[in-house]
Amino acid sequence: MSLYETDRKDERLAELREKFGRHPVDPPDRFHQGGSQRDRQPRFCGLESGHRACQGCGEALAARLVMECAGPDVMVANATGCLEVFTTPWPQTAWQVPWIHSLFENSAAVASGMEAAMKAKGRNTKILAFGGDGGTYDIGFQALSGMLERYHNILYVCYDNEAYMNTGIQRSSSTPHAASTTTSPAGPERMGKRHLKKDLLSIIAAHHIPYSASASVAFPADLQRKVRYAMGIEGPTFLVVHSPCPLGWKHDSHLTIEVARRAADCGLFPIVEMERGALSNVMPIRKVRPVRDYLELQGRFGHLMDPDDPRAVEELTHLQALADYNISHFNLRGEGEDPADTAGIAHVARDRSAGER
Amino acid sequence: MVVINRGAHAEPGTSLLFKTGNWRSTECPSHVHTKAPCHAACPAGEDQQAWFAWLQEGHVELAWRELVRANPLPAVTGRVCPHPCEAACNRNAIDAPLAIHNVERWLGDEAIAKGWAYPVAPPAEDAPVVAIVGSGPGGLSAAYHCVRLGLRAEIFEALPEAGGLLRSAIPPTRLPRPALDAELNRLLALPGITINLRCKLGRDVTLDELGRSHDAVILAPGCQESKEWNVDGAVPTDLHEGLHLLREFMDHGEFPAAHHVAVHGGGNTAIDLCRMMKRHGVEQVTLITASALPGPDTDPADLINVVPRELEEALEEGIEIVEHATVKRLIMKGSRVTGVEIVSLKKLTGTDGRKHRVQFEGTERVVSVDMVIPCIGERVKADGLHSLLSRRHYLDATDPWGRTPQENVFAIGDARGDRGTVAEAIGDGRLAVEAVAAKLFGLPDPVRDDRGEMPAAGLNTVYFGPIERARVPKLPVADRTFEAEIEGDIGRLGALREATRCLSCGNCLACDNCWVMCPDNAVIKTAELASDGSHYLFDLDYCKGCGICANECPTGFIQMRTDTWQDSDQTV
Repeated sequence: MSLYETDRKDERLAELREKFGRHPVDPPDRFHQGGSQRDRQPRFCGLESGHRACQGCGEALAARLVMECAGPDVMVANATGCLEVFTTPWPQTAWQVPWIHSLFENSAAVASGMEAAMKAKGRNTKILAFGGDGGTYDIGFQALSGMLERYHNILYVCYDNEAYMNTGIQRSSSTPHAASTTTSPAGPERMGKRHLKKDLLSIIAAHHIPYSASASVAFPADLQRKVRYAMGIEGPTFLVVHSPCPLGWKHDSHLTIEVARRAADCGLFPIVEMERGALSNVMPIRKVRPVRDYLELQGRFGHLMDPDDPRAVEELTHLQALADYNISHFNLRGEGEDPADTAGIAHVARDRSAGER
Repeated sequence: MVVINRGAHAEPGTSLLFKTGNWRSTECPSHVHTKAPCHAACPAGEDQQAWFAWLQEGHVELAWRELVRANPLPAVTGRVCPHPCEAACNRNAIDAPLAIHNVERWLGDEAIAKGWAYPVAPPAEDAPVVAIVGSGPGGLSAAYHCVRLGLRAEIFEALPEAGGLLRSAIPPTRLPRPALDAELNRLLALPGITINLRCKLGRDVTLDELGRSHDAVILAPGCQESKEWNVDGAVPTDLHEGLHLLREFMDHGEFPAAHHVAVHGGGNTAIDLCRMMKRHGVEQVTLITASALPGPDTDPADLINVVPRELEEALEEGIEIVEHATVKRLIMKGSRVTGVEIVSLKKLTGTDGRKHRVQFEGTERVVSVDMVIPCIGERVKADGLHSLLSRRHYLDATDPWGRTPQENVFAIGDARGDRGTVAEAIGDGRLAVEAVAAKLFGLPDPVRDDRGEMPAAGLNTVYFGPIERARVPKLPVADRTFEAEIEGDIGRLGALREATRCLSCGNCLACDNCWVMCPDNAVIKTAELASDGSHYLFDLDYCKGCGICANECPTGFIQMRTDTWQDSDQTV
C-alpha cells in the first residue's frame, strides 16, 4: 500500500468517524508507549490491566501468561465466553494485539481463515485461538476438529474452568464428575454431575497433531515453557490450561493457585504432553495428595464432605479412584530426578541455580 | 457522546482507563518486613537472614560486615553459642534447621584469615570516653559498639589477659586459643579502644572514680563467685566447686584424684567439667540435673540449658546423665563423701500459680561416688560493686539497655543475673552502648524493635524443596584430647550451599511469584522505585484485592492489610 493510499484511507476513516460519531482517531492516552513503570516492565503484556475478570480469576491469569510468551507478533481469535466478555467491554479492550470475536462455536474456523489470510499475504504472524471449556469441549468442538484436520499453523488454547461460567455456571462436558453446577445441582436426586469429564486431550492427540499438552496456572514456568514450545511448531498445536474459577468452583479468591496446585498434586488433572498422539512427557507428582485435599477447598464439592452420607462417601471414593487411575495410566509417580518436577519446578531462591541439589 | 455501532474496533490496551482498584472491598496487599525467627531468637541481635542473603549472592565479605554490625566476635560465638537461632529456624517445618553456627564460625575465621577490617571509622579525638569494667564477651562487645557509634572506650581488666570467661572457663576443645586470640587481638587493636590489664575494680580503681573520669560506665564483671552449696547443711571438707575446678585444670592440667564423680548442675560448665574429667581418666562421671534431656515431648522451659551439640558429644563420650533429679543427702564416712542419695524431682505449677520443684517420695536411690562437685552457678563478686548489688548478689539492671539506679552506670552480661550466655552478653553490650551513645550525643533513647516474628505457618513452604543440612566433620571419641577442637570446619562450599537453604522468612527474595501470578497485572517490577527492600510495587489502581500474591508469597513478605488507598492516590 503506497503512502498516498494510506493517507486516503485515513481521510476516509476520519470522514466515517465524523459521520457516525465514533471516538476520535487518537485515544486520549497513548497506551504502552510512554515512559511509565508499567510500560517498561521486562515482559510483553498482551492482556492489560483494567479487564473486568472477577477477583482471583484463574482464566485472566492464564491468558496473561500465555500472551506474555506468545506475543507480540500474534493475532487472536476468541470464542464467546468469560475471556471474551471481561476483556472487551466496548469501547475498551484489554488486548494489545489484534483480536477478533465472532461466535461461540467458530473461533477455530475464524482462526483458520486468519491463518490462511496471513499465508496469502506472506506474513509470519502466528494465529492463536482461545476458548473456554464450553467453546472447546462442547460447542466449538467440530470447528476445532476441522482446524486440526486441515493442519493450520495455529496454537489453540483452551482455558478450562470446568463449566459455563460466563452464563451462570452450567455444566459442560469438561465439568468433573460429582461437581455441583446450576444444571447438575447436588440434591436428593443426584450428587452433582452424573457423567465424567471428557478426556479431550486424548481426542485432540488422536488427530495426530504435532503437539498437545495440558498445563496449570499453578505452574507458570511449565505453562510458559509449553507455550514457547508450541509457538515454535509449524502446524496445529493445542494447550488446555486448568484455570480455577473462584465464583463457579466456590472457593476463596486467594486460593486460586492453591486449588490448581492441589488438582495436579492429587492426580485429578494430569499435566502431560503428547506429540503425534503419543505421551511424550508428564509432570511427575512427588508427594501425591488425597483428592479430598483438593475437593474440600471448593463449594462445588461441598456435598461430598459429609462422612455420614453413604452417597457422598461413594462419590468421594469414585473421584479418588479416577485420580488413582490417572496416576497409573499416565505414570505420574516419576522416578529419579526430573527437572519437570511438580514440586521442584516452582521452587524459589535468591540464586535459583544454587537452590537445586 | 459515544455512539456504539457495528463493525467498530477499540484501541489496544484502552481498558487501562477503567480502574478496577475500586473493586477491592476490605483489604489490599502490602509488604511487611517481619523479623525472621532466627533474628528474633538471637540474644546478640544478629540478623542471620540478612547475612545469609549476602551469602546467597556470593558476597562473603558483605555477609561478614552485616554480621559484625551486631556481633563483633563471630569466630567465638560460632563455636560456643547454644544457637537458639537454629532451634527457632523455620526450616524445622521442612527438614532440618540451617547450620547457622557453623556458617557463622566460618565467616569469623574467614575474616581473620583474609584480614578484613571491621566496618568502623576511628572515633574523633575528643569523642566521649566510656569506661568498661571487664573484658569478657560483654565488655568487648560494648567497646566495639562504642567505636562503631563514635565513642572511645577504656577497658579495665583485673586479669593479665583479656577474654574473661572465654579464656578462663571455656575448654580449648570448644574454643581453641589461637581462634580466640586472633579475634580478640584485632578487636582490641581498633583505634579508640584502650585496655588496662591487671587493673581491678575496688583495688586499683573505684566505681566513683570511673564515674568522675569518664562520661559513662558500663559494668561487665561477669560472675566470679560460686553460689553456696550444701545438702541440708552438710558440706564435704574436700569440696571443690565446678567453675573453680575447671579454671584450675585450664591453668595446671590436674584434677584431684577420684574414681567416681557426681556433678550436680545443668549448665555448660557442668557438661564441660564432666567431659574433661572423663577424658582425664575418671572411671565414671554422673551428671545429676533437675532439667530434662531433649526428647519429643520435652517442654522447652524444662530443657537442660546447654549447647545441644555439647550434650550429644557428652553422651557419645559416655557421661551418664540423670535427668529430673537432685541430690537429697550426702552419705559421708567421717567428713568424706562415699555416696549420694538422689531423688526424682520435677518443676510443677503449685496452687499459688508459681513453679515449684517437687521431690517425689519413694524415688530415692543411692549412687556410690567418691567426689561430689556442685556446678549450680555463680554470682557477682562484690569487690567495688557493693552499692549496686541486689539481694540475690547480682547487679541491679532495670531494663534491656542495662540502666542501673545509678546515673550513667550500666550493667550487662552474666552479672545482671538474668543472663547466661556469651551471646546475651554481646547483645547487652550493644544495647547498653546504644543507650549511652544516644544520651551522650543528645539523641532520643533507643526503642525496642517491636516488629512481629514470621512463624512457619506464615510461609508458603510449597516453594521450598528439602535440601539436606550440611554435615560437619567431628573428631571421633577416641581421638579427643584436651586441645584439639572437636567440631570441624564447614568450609567455603559448605557455607555457601548452606546459605541456599535459608528461606528468607519475612523478607523479599525477588522470586517474582507476585509479579507472575497476579491475574490483574497489578504488580509492577521495579528495583528503583521499591523502597522497602523488595523489587515490586502494587499498582492499587488495578489491584482487585484477590489475595493470590499474599497466599503465594513464599516468605510471608506480602500480607493483606486494611485498605487505606483512595481514588486520588497514584501508585505508579
